[in-house]
Amino acid sequence: MDLFVQTIINGLILGAGYALVAVGLTVIFGTLHIVNFAHGAFFALGAYAVLMLQNLGLNYLVAVPFAVLAVATVGYLVEITIVRRALYDRGEYGSIIITFALAQAIVAATILIMGPDPLPVRSPFGQTAISLFGFFLSAQRVFIAATSVVVLAAFAWWLKYTVRGQQILAVSQNPKGALYSGINVPLIRSLSFVLGVAAAGLAGMLLAPLISAFPTMGDANVIVAFTVVILGGLGSISGAMLGALVIGLSNAFFETYVSVSWTSALGWVLVILVLLFWPQGLMGRTQINRH
Amino acid sequence: MTSTSSQALKLQGTGRAGSLGKGVLIVLAAGLILFVGLGLQSTFWLNLAAYTCGFALFALSVNIMLGGVGEVPLGQSMFFGIGAYAPAVMINNFGLPFEFGVLVGMVIAAAAATLIGGVTLRLTGAYFAIVSWGMSGVAMVTVHNIEFTGGALGLFGFSRLAVGPFDLSHPRTYFFVTSIILLLVLILLAHIRSSRFGHALESIRQSRHLAQSLGVNVFRERLKAFVLSAPIAALAGSLCLPFTQIVTPESMSVLRSVDALLAVLIGGTGLLYGPVIGSIIFTVVPQFLNFDANVKVLVFSLLIILIMMVAPGGLHQLIKAAGAALRCMSESRR
Repeated sequence: MDLFVQTIINGLILGAGYALVAVGLTVIFGTLHIVNFAHGAFFALGAYAVLMLQNLGLNYLVAVPFAVLAVATVGYLVEITIVRRALYDRGEYGSIIITFALAQAIVAATILIMGPDPLPVRSPFGQTAISLFGFFLSAQRVFIAATSVVVLAAFAWWLKYTVRGQQILAVSQNPKGALYSGINVPLIRSLSFVLGVAAAGLAGMLLAPLISAFPTMGDANVIVAFTVVILGGLGSISGAMLGALVIGLSNAFFETYVSVSWTSALGWVLVILVLLFWPQGLMGRTQINRH
Repeated sequence: MTSTSSQALKLQGTGRAGSLGKGVLIVLAAGLILFVGLGLQSTFWLNLAAYTCGFALFALSVNIMLGGVGEVPLGQSMFFGIGAYAPAVMINNFGLPFEFGVLVGMVIAAAAATLIGGVTLRLTGAYFAIVSWGMSGVAMVTVHNIEFTGGALGLFGFSRLAVGPFDLSHPRTYFFVTSIILLLVLILLAHIRSSRFGHALESIRQSRHLAQSLGVNVFRERLKAFVLSAPIAALAGSLCLPFTQIVTPESMSVLRSVDALLAVLIGGTGLLYGPVIGSIIFTVVPQFLNFDANVKVLVFSLLIILIMMVAPGGLHQLIKAAGAALRCMSESRR
């Protein structure tokens, strides 16, 4: 029973971390209609940004907000040079290849600048564990879950109660309609891309103290994020949050009760099953990508 | 869109003159094979040329999906890996000959493609790309975890890599075997392209719904293309084995598919032999540049982005555009 509860706790905390990456991915899909295969690269960029700021002498907690700004800046530059010119309204074929190549380029550049080896990122929470009602939690994991919940709640509030947030929702529902209503659609798309990759970067920063910073650290996480987003329905924000919890819990249970080495295959199996029997995802709007 | 429709018109126009042109092309290709095979003296370049042919086969397989069906097959490396693992397992674990392993690999790849395609080909666009990537991910985890594929270390130290009397450890034999297989596959693909199936596929790629409304069974034709592409990828995996001398779970990695995608994009998706030209550029050019592996990835990735931004149909589009511009200039001068 203790093991069971501990697994549920682990799964929820894991899921909260996944949600941050997945929501970024789904916001970008919702407004830009591209699947950002470079999402994992921005995840790694976040970790390296915080590492560099630490090397300059900043405390981890102070470095994180600046690192988010740095990732957002890189995201904006990528948006205006590549994404905007090459991707909008051009079908998915091109966007898949371009964002994938972008991911490869960023990873290769990171290896060339920072080296291929994992570099440790220090955090004030270190490797300490908190004991709560007899269950053990890593302090950094609790910090990840708490930050993720706060950021996502703030983001949901912002979407619902501000004009800009409503504009993002409008563009994702109907870009032409939004344009005719006087919304600056290119600006909203830039904003969504920047917000999305910044969320990925933030997730990278949060996870870096646990797994260190290494150039391909984003791969595993973006794959999980894909499974989460597809499970929840591409473009659906609440679906991404729900999907993250489902994937987090199922991964935790699979690791505890079945096998650690096969866990990475589990997410894909879930995705394939969902796409087969529930093609629009748990909370997706319409099925447009099937025939 | 205009370039693709003019291509379709050209296809219809090829009659007897087209088959004569094909004959000339085949003779030219055979001449090129003889020239390269007899002309090259260094074992390194012969081996590399042979590997290039194997890689070109993989690029052709990827282009059946990319240029033919219009989907991005990120997981095609899985079939490449099956083709590399099958002979390796047959030789090392069962002591069976290489050729037998190659055939087993192709059969397994075709069977896997039928099963997987039956499930995933109802999806399109990003959904297909992601699931296809996922399939190769699952395959990678699988060969990593089962024992007879050698785990993370993979398999190596093969006793004899030969096709019948032809020993593939001799670079020249290796080159002739792979290049002739490549030529045969190209001829096969050219035939398929001008067949009923080829036309159906082209119509699906241009407009799925229109094709469906005209009575083309979209799902079945897409599945046929996928099942055709898989054994070719497996054959490529087998034929790269004498060059690499080792097969690891990495051979199933999505990066393999990306390499092939790049080769296809450089050569052009619309041309039948485009992927072959792209593969030659992709494997030969870096040999002269003496790049670090990561610089190579960086340069090639940026190249992909650039190609997709300025010439999504392949670099020959640029040459065509430049030619058109020159013609325009000379005409206006007159």
